[in-house]
Amino acid sequence: MTSVALACPLGLAASAVPGSGAELEREAERDAIAASKRGEREAFEVLVARYQRPIYRLCYRYVNDHDDANDLAQEAFLKAWRAISRFRGDSAFSTWLYRIAVNACLNFRAKRRPETREIDEALVDPRPGAEWQVEREDDAFRVRAAVSRLPDRQRATLILKLFHDLTHEEVAGILGSSVGTVKANLFHALANLRREMTRARETRS
Amino acid sequence: MTAHVSDDAVLDLALGAGTASQRGHAGSCEACARRVREAASALELAQRAEVPEPSPFYWQALRHGVSQRIAQEGQETRRSAFLVPLAAAAAVLAVLFSVPGLPVKGPLAPGLAAWSALPLEEEDEGLRVLEGLALSSGELAEWDRGEGLSAYLANLTDDESRVLAETLRKRGQGGES
Repeated sequence: MTSVALACPLGLAASAVPGSGAELEREAERDAIAASKRGEREAFEVLVARYQRPIYRLCYRYVNDHDDANDLAQEAFLKAWRAISRFRGDSAFSTWLYRIAVNACLNFRAKRRPETREIDEALVDPRPGAEWQVEREDDAFRVRAAVSRLPDRQRATLILKLFHDLTHEEVAGILGSSVGTVKANLFHALANLRREMTRARETRS
Repeated sequence: MTAHVSDDAVLDLALGAGTASQRGHAGSCEACARRVREAASALELAQRAEVPEPSPFYWQALRHGVSQRIAQEGQETRRSAFLVPLAAAAAVLAVLFSVPGLPVKGPLAPGLAAWSALPLEEEDEGLRVLEGLALSSGELAEWDRGEGLSAYLANLTDDESRVLAETLRKRGQGGES
């Protein structure tokens, strides 16, 4: 399990044994949501405190920049506040919130599209078996940069699936697509990521 | 030999899932085994994209930023709610002055001061009717600082003011639809 999942104890797969910590947390969250719907800002701040880390990290992975991630995270929470009266509880609150954050990221990209260079969705790595031997920090930076250049849907899928420990079904729910589409996007995202990293490695050597 | 596994199955196998049949095929087919290895290595690569941990103070700043924006939005919403009755009053005025027979004000005659046509505030029935229709006491000053409605009222003649006040009073009492 990733640190993100640990930081988000409402994790979608958490057990819900009555009286357990997870159940108490869910109850506290339900109370906070209900109070937020009544317009109680303090209650909403509880939800912000609970989800700020995974939402910020989701945004960071999307834009690969702290300031932009900060703006996007704030925007996501503000939109959630505006819309919380319409949250019916059909899905987990975290799923609903992730969806808002992903949409904020997608809109952000759409506005900045002329400045970004995306990987062609149709391309896949023609050279299998490549390995990467780079220092860990450089590696992280380069991988983040490569992830941030993936096409929107591939990137969102990769981030939600890998870094937020969500199931295919949960990712599909957030992105409003089918499980098949999620799997296809993830498969192509991984192929594009390998291709991009291979190219970067060849450029350096 | 069974058919090669699909992309979905390759992904499932790389993620440690997949069916026994798929695993069996990948175990005996070098081409599929290579595809699974590639997907698994890409997964491992992607996992290295750690997000730098911001300053411990950052989370507080984030919460503060969100709270401020929500509070700011709340103020704007309250302002908007206040403007609704004003807009309604302005709409009433607009309708009134589009009624045939009601004098439409043109440019002021040269040398006529804008305020000269206004009665004293305590004698101005029109203002009281407006207050009664749309505003509570004290709020009048909020919109009266603007240049729209107040400027229009400032240009009314005594007769026009009386007509306006009388019409608004009738509308306020439901005497005119």
